[in-house]
Amino acid sequence: MTALRGLRRWEGLLLGLLAAVVALSIARSPYYLGVGNIVNLFQLEIEKVIVVLPMTLLIIDGEIDLSVASVMGLSACVAAYLFHIGEPMPVALAAALGSGVVAGLINGFWVAYVGLPSLAVTLAGLIGYRGVARILVEDRAIGGFPAWFQALGQQPLVGPLTLSILVFVVLFAVTCVVLHGSGFGRLVYVMGNSLAAARYSGVRVRRIKMALFVASSTVSALAGLLYAARLGSVRGDMAGGFELDIITIVLLGGVSIFGGAGNLVGVGLSILVILNLRNGMGLADITGNTQTSVIGALLILSVLVPNSVQALNKTWKGRET
Amino acid sequence: MNATRRPPASRRVVDGGAASGGPVLELRHIAKRFGATQALADVSLALRSGEIHALLGENGAGKSTLIKIMTGVHQPDQGEILLAGQPITIATSAEAQRHGIAAIYQEPLLFPDLQVAENIFISHQGRGLLAGWREMYRRAEEILAALGVSLDVRSPARGLTLAAQQSVEIAKAISLDVRVLIMDEPTASLSAHEVAQLFRLVRDLRDQGVAILFVSHRMEEVFDIADAVTVFRDGRLISTRAGADVTPQKAIADMVGREMALLQPRAEVPRGELLLAVRGLGREGVFKDVGFDVHRGEVLGFAGLIGAGRTDVGLALFGIEPATAGSIVLDGKPVTIRSPRQAMAAGIAYLSEDRRQLGLSLPMSIAVNISLPVLERYLSRLGLVRTRMERETADAYRRRLAIRTPSVDLAVAKLSGGNQQKVMLSKWLNTHPALLILDEPTRGIDVGAKAEVHAIIGELAAEGIGIILISSDLPEVLALSDRVLVMREGRQMAILARSEADQETVMTAAMGQASAMGEAA
Amino acid sequence: MIWLQRHIRPEQIRELSLLLLIVAAVLIFGSLIDGYYTSRTFVRISTSVAVIAVVAVGQTLVVLTRNIDLSVGSIVGCSAYAVGTLIGHDKGMAAPVVVAICIGIGAGLGALNGLLVTWGGVPSIITTLGTLAIYRGTLIDYSGAKTVTTDSLPGWLVDLPRLNFLVVGGLDVRVLVAVAVGVVVLFQVATIYLNVGRTFYAIGSNPDAAKLIGLPIRRTIFAAFVLSGALAGLAGFMTLARFGNITVEAGRGLELQVVAAVVVGGVNIFGGSGTVTGALLGAFMIGTLEQSLFRLQISEFWRDALLGLLILLAVASDAVILNRLRALWAKAELKLVRPPAGEAPLRRALRDP
Repeated sequence: MTALRGLRRWEGLLLGLLAAVVALSIARSPYYLGVGNIVNLFQLEIEKVIVVLPMTLLIIDGEIDLSVASVMGLSACVAAYLFHIGEPMPVALAAALGSGVVAGLINGFWVAYVGLPSLAVTLAGLIGYRGVARILVEDRAIGGFPAWFQALGQQPLVGPLTLSILVFVVLFAVTCVVLHGSGFGRLVYVMGNSLAAARYSGVRVRRIKMALFVASSTVSALAGLLYAARLGSVRGDMAGGFELDIITIVLLGGVSIFGGAGNLVGVGLSILVILNLRNGMGLADITGNTQTSVIGALLILSVLVPNSVQALNKTWKGRET
Repeated sequence: MNATRRPPASRRVVDGGAASGGPVLELRHIAKRFGATQALADVSLALRSGEIHALLGENGAGKSTLIKIMTGVHQPDQGEILLAGQPITIATSAEAQRHGIAAIYQEPLLFPDLQVAENIFISHQGRGLLAGWREMYRRAEEILAALGVSLDVRSPARGLTLAAQQSVEIAKAISLDVRVLIMDEPTASLSAHEVAQLFRLVRDLRDQGVAILFVSHRMEEVFDIADAVTVFRDGRLISTRAGADVTPQKAIADMVGREMALLQPRAEVPRGELLLAVRGLGREGVFKDVGFDVHRGEVLGFAGLIGAGRTDVGLALFGIEPATAGSIVLDGKPVTIRSPRQAMAAGIAYLSEDRRQLGLSLPMSIAVNISLPVLERYLSRLGLVRTRMERETADAYRRRLAIRTPSVDLAVAKLSGGNQQKVMLSKWLNTHPALLILDEPTRGIDVGAKAEVHAIIGELAAEGIGIILISSDLPEVLALSDRVLVMREGRQMAILARSEADQETVMTAAMGQASAMGEAA
Repeated sequence: MIWLQRHIRPEQIRELSLLLLIVAAVLIFGSLIDGYYTSRTFVRISTSVAVIAVVAVGQTLVVLTRNIDLSVGSIVGCSAYAVGTLIGHDKGMAAPVVVAICIGIGAGLGALNGLLVTWGGVPSIITTLGTLAIYRGTLIDYSGAKTVTTDSLPGWLVDLPRLNFLVVGGLDVRVLVAVAVGVVVLFQVATIYLNVGRTFYAIGSNPDAAKLIGLPIRRTIFAAFVLSGALAGLAGFMTLARFGNITVEAGRGLELQVVAAVVVGGVNIFGGSGTVTGALLGAFMIGTLEQSLFRLQISEFWRDALLGLLILLAVASDAVILNRLRALWAKAELKLVRPPAGEAPLRRALRDP
């Protein structure tokens, strides 16, 4: 119960932060809350934000996937390569998604069935899948995709919303239901708290871990394709380093790096905070690097502040008694 | 077990200058408070050199707090500590060591990656700059030889058996120039043979003039070894008596605050039809050729030393570590069990010996834990959890097993050991098992809860559930079982009927030979 | 077998097999590439390994204590760039001062990591993920994205990477390589023969026990981060000397190579076991692959894919093979014997402390 209250407090903090950032931004630009700007806000980071969702599940389960950004790159490169050698675009896209599934199966196999630490396995994946992407496109930039593909990435599909944003909205809703309402989500929490206890209760832990890794890689592959569509060209190093931003958003949302705790409300707020912060700082002419520093600091503070408050509380109470 | 008790005459003078039998460590009017709980109130206790002082009390009586104060983990709010008559403060565990106070805990706290020799000497203060390997190996070998234990001091501690780890812990304590040795349930995970070995060491230490504080839940052991017995209840010292003056009944009465019956044999229940037939069961390199029957309504006890393979048989039947040989016939149908899922489908439930790590998900609520193995029963057609139904089930079990909690939404971690054990029982009863495997169902829970668990086991058997009871608490096995299967080093040694099974016959079988009894005691 | 088991530990077998793997790799590349067995190849591989190895030593210390330092790449960049700029303003700066400033900058940044982890209670992966971004972002902001160029550096620094420490059998051992080897030897010896060194292992092996017996956990973890930072600072100096041209991007992504070297070198990612020498071997394996594949031209793009596979292999062999070996070793060692009869043998032990 106290853990729950602690989370509430954390979400309150995020909400306050969000309000402050939005208020400052509105003060600078009255059009800040306009539909166009909000869509724009999401559109610029949408691929990362999509991958945040399966990553949340994985981290609550007590695992981590460092290879997501490389899988994004891999899937884009597979599609580009096949298109480049003359395959029809739909075939290339299917194969790209397939590459994501395969990457997830590989990660999942080593973690769930062999029992290796996911940090090490997906570090190998981070380097290895990027390597495969490089083998495919070497140092070229492949572009010239069919017009419909690029349109999918850039043109609004429903109202002002692009395909990527729609994908995110649907996935967010689905993830919410799965994590907080379904038996599967329940088991994810149980496993994150104690894997051995789950196993001794007859939970099919391997299958669930496998499913999570496959989901993570498949969604990453999809995000990679959306990214390619938005940029209109593909390079071997695209989406490089995204894993750090993605993990930062999840952890800032109050998800415990040790698994077992966190929820999608916090992660949703964390997404909004990061997007608004980046956009707000952009409006205030703060460069991308400073933005990165600020988000890095925010990540550390997200753990440091509650820790310090707790420590202070303790000494204060100690004096009282 | 109840063999020779040495007369406490062979005491000698220790270096500290304390007179023979004089108090080495004295606690005066110690009080300690945690938030709203008064953990200790006005406790005065004297530990004399050359004396084994037993500390009894239910869980939460304040024993651990006292130990933590003596080892510098906690500071007392009031009171003073005297070492050989001089007031001292113990601010850190390092300081406790400097005073010659060492503690051995229930779970050996070794460094698995460090070598045995390093483990023995790591806590030595002021070891200087250099590790001094050669000297360390030599001394470690000496100490282990003196303990009668043969271990390669260069091997890492990883993979040592519990008993071997405990030996290293004792070597560690001896290597420090120890004057006061605190043993916090050192026998909880040891087999009878290992306990005998440990007691031999403890008596030797006592005869050297070491003051020993011995905490245990196993009553027989305490009376076997203690020169003085102190009982705690609710943070207060209730009584201190000489070992010879105190009986188990008296001690238990002090512990629970009322007279309480000792273990009563379970009422006979007519044996039902054949439920489980196991033949030639084995797992490569762990155990082999185990064969037995369990009838409905029967309690089959599993006795043996730790590491004899009892838990491994349980794990094999439950599919955690599947068997590699043999057949299992359940209700007349041959079954293969390669995973817990298959075991559960066949009607088998297994309560782990490790409640906190394996048996329960501590941060999750009682209701979540109880529904966990059969979560699919609580899912709607869309795969969503029906939490109301889940809570109703949990509430039913709360009433049935008298789980003391304000709400089933409470995290299991907040419950006492006994109530946690009941939650674990509920969790597995909720799978409606035909065969229930109980692995150490009363380990580390207090006397009252233990009696309740025993009563529940009786009721379940009366309902027609077949029960396999694995326990290192021999009186418990003897009191509850219809038959007792004895294992030794991965082999089945005997199946004894209730009429033949007593401490002596079981231990003889467990040791593998008749003469072993004498040596063990 | 018994003799073998007494004298060689499973962990050492792990390192030996890595050594064999390196030899095999060299032989294979030697047969594929003309003129592979030359001093030039050795210089190229060893110089690239030197930088990774120095940082990997620090990383090993951190990983031993059950932590991880992802900020090393940024620290290398900060140190290289800051000192490159300083020395551009004052070419007369003495070499020891330059090195000291580099190490100092690294130690300072490492100390911040250490403070946050130990006294702030922020898990190391979060702390260093954050400082990875902060250090790099701050560097880029303050530098205005300018570049340090070779012609702004003093002559001794420009010549340093081509300076030989000694020549063994026609192989040129550069000063930078000698520094790296020195660092490895120093820390290998310290972690085995100093009690302070053993503390790193103890803490990672069983933090609860370490706390209970009063080992200085915070101080040790703090020290690990400071040392990791300091060594990254030193590596910054080596990077400056090696390349001459330093952009604000210097050292970016180095943390991955370093963690890879440590993992391939058999250091347990969950702390407690592994050696500095193992990390060096890991770095060597990675350096050999990198430089040799570069020579094979067509395969340059295969480097990362192979490296990923190598990490996976290393971790898999750890989990599967090493556990088997350990069980085998444990079986041979674990023979509890019956106590000798007669007079209580403890007496001797107690009398003879």
